Amino acid sequence: MIRIEHLAKQFRTAGAAKRGFGGLVRLGRSGAARIVHAVRDVSFDALDGRITGLLGPNGAGKTTTLRMLAGLITPDAGHVSVDGIDVVAQPGAALGRMGVLSDARGLYPRLTARENIVYYGRLQGMPADAANVRAEQLAQMLEMKALLDRRADGFSQGERMKTALARALVHDPANIVLDEPTNGLDVLATRALRDSLRWLRSPQGGSKCIVFSTHIMQEVERLCDGVVVVSHGRTVAGGTVDELLAQSGQTDFEEAFVRLAFSADELAHHEVAGPL
Amino acid sequence: MNKLRTALIVYRKEIVDALRDRRTLLTVLISSVLMGPAVLVAISALVATFESRAELREVYVVGIEHAPSLRNFLERQTYTVKAAPGDFEAQLRNAKLSDPVVVIPKDFEAALLRGDAPIVEVVIDSANQRSQAGARRIEGLLNGFGRERAALTLALRGVAVDLLEPLQVEDRDLASTQTRATQITGMLPYFVMMAVLYGALNAALDTTAGERERGSLEPLLTNPLDRWVLVLGKWAAVASVGMLIAVLSSLSFLPGQWVLRSDTLAAMFQYGLREASMFLVVLLPFAAAVSAVLMAVAIRCKSFKEAQASATVVMLAASLLPLINVFSLGSESPWYLWVPALAQNVLMTHVLKGEPLGAAQIAVPLLVCVLLTALGVWFVARSLRSAAVR
Repeated sequence: MIRIEHLAKQFRTAGAAKRGFGGLVRLGRSGAARIVHAVRDVSFDALDGRITGLLGPNGAGKTTTLRMLAGLITPDAGHVSVDGIDVVAQPGAALGRMGVLSDARGLYPRLTARENIVYYGRLQGMPADAANVRAEQLAQMLEMKALLDRRADGFSQGERMKTALARALVHDPANIVLDEPTNGLDVLATRALRDSLRWLRSPQGGSKCIVFSTHIMQEVERLCDGVVVVSHGRTVAGGTVDELLAQSGQTDFEEAFVRLAFSADELAHHEVAGPL
Repeated sequence: MNKLRTALIVYRKEIVDALRDRRTLLTVLISSVLMGPAVLVAISALVATFESRAELREVYVVGIEHAPSLRNFLERQTYTVKAAPGDFEAQLRNAKLSDPVVVIPKDFEAALLRGDAPIVEVVIDSANQRSQAGARRIEGLLNGFGRERAALTLALRGVAVDLLEPLQVEDRDLASTQTRATQITGMLPYFVMMAVLYGALNAALDTTAGERERGSLEPLLTNPLDRWVLVLGKWAAVASVGMLIAVLSSLSFLPGQWVLRSDTLAAMFQYGLREASMFLVVLLPFAAAVSAVLMAVAIRCKSFKEAQASATVVMLAASLLPLINVFSLGSESPWYLWVPALAQNVLMTHVLKGEPLGAAQIAVPLLVCVLLTALGVWFVARSLRSAAVR
């Protein structure tokens, strides 16, 4: 189970020091320092055996939130815990209980899919044999057995995605965090991924706690047990799809999301600016 | 030790990754292994032409018909007198002619008889190094002719020849044969260091900026391992590649010796297993430090290309610093040992001269290398997380 409480993070951009020689030397400053509040106040609980969708428009702070969850960025304020373990205080223990498919999902092109997967298993502390067996199991589940001993160089988007997912799941984590997993996937690959996630949620699959971020409504409608709507760095609504529909008084989920995520002003402005 | 085992896992993966980059690796390996023999062959070919010139005992002369006495002298010295080509000045300038040319004036014999000291020119082009190299030999020959004439004249008048030479000048060269050889082989340490640098460059950039560019650094950091353990494993892999190149290029001079065409050079260039191992004592810490520094420079760069541009500064410094030693012509300052790249060049030059290395001479550059390594690894570990997400 994943618990996120009043998370906040701001970045300094644009005014950042201009550096040269590989960032070793400051060359001066360009423009005034600008502070961007990537995340202002995000809170939600993701329970075991459930798929929780983090839904929000581009730039809402989803990726930053998930990066803080994965221990890649230290939050300015708030708490992140995984199965009761604080990510900031005990990053090692928390990361061991999480499988993260981050925004960047680069593979090592000169290694085979199997080697890519086993490497992460080893880094998670698994013995080589166990990691190898696990790679086979995951390949079975993700229907990528044929890929296993091919080098990752030249994989298609879908193949890369499957390998990256297998890599994230190699240590059989109780919590699974996915950042926009369907980005760049075709219909069949998306379907396969959905099936895999449903299976992982089921008791046979291990009743995993799954959190994934997306900006695609259909994903959420078809897959999620719970939805957290994030906008402008804040959690603005939460609940099941039906609850959100009731809350916004809409019958169409897309409409409901738009009402929840954007203020009346923003919507008016958008409509004046033109359709879409 | 759990952390050590994790570092080893990272190390093994990075090595496999680096070894599979066949094309890059092969280019570096071939150039570093073949470089030793190639440089030696080039040098020996050059020396051999000097030697064969001297052995040929030929003199190019313009107007030898005006100086039968000189011809007689030269032939008695077993030299062959050859007529210089008409356009010898142009040929000397564009280095077609590699011997100096002696120009004799028309009234040579008459002036000689009058005691007017005719002017004999030895024409060289100082930009044409081979013509310059032969000039001293020809001048010695002409002076010999002059001395003989003077001695004869004095002897005819009953004056002791010794009066002509109130003092005797003798050269005493303190340099050992090996020291003299370093004038020629002085570039070798430089080539070896370049090989190590370029060997480590690709691996260092690939594990840092390359990892960022591929987008594999961020997922890598979602594994529960200490950043310094990760960086240590990566650094060890890069340093191993650098060290492998160091070993190969140092050893490549061993067979390189057999292809020496010049006997004199072969006698002067003493490079055995002892010298090779001394090279390694100097080069291995250097490979370690260079790897760490290159990684530190590259970790801030978003792409391989950007990293290559930044690494140019390191490469330039490492290739220019040794030149201080090359151009200072053997007079060293103690601070040389504190400057990376320069220190290694100085020490390897000592090894080639056949001089033993003192403990302090080895310790100071070693200390500098250890410090640089620690600094580089620390910097990469510190920058790793912010590099991953930007």
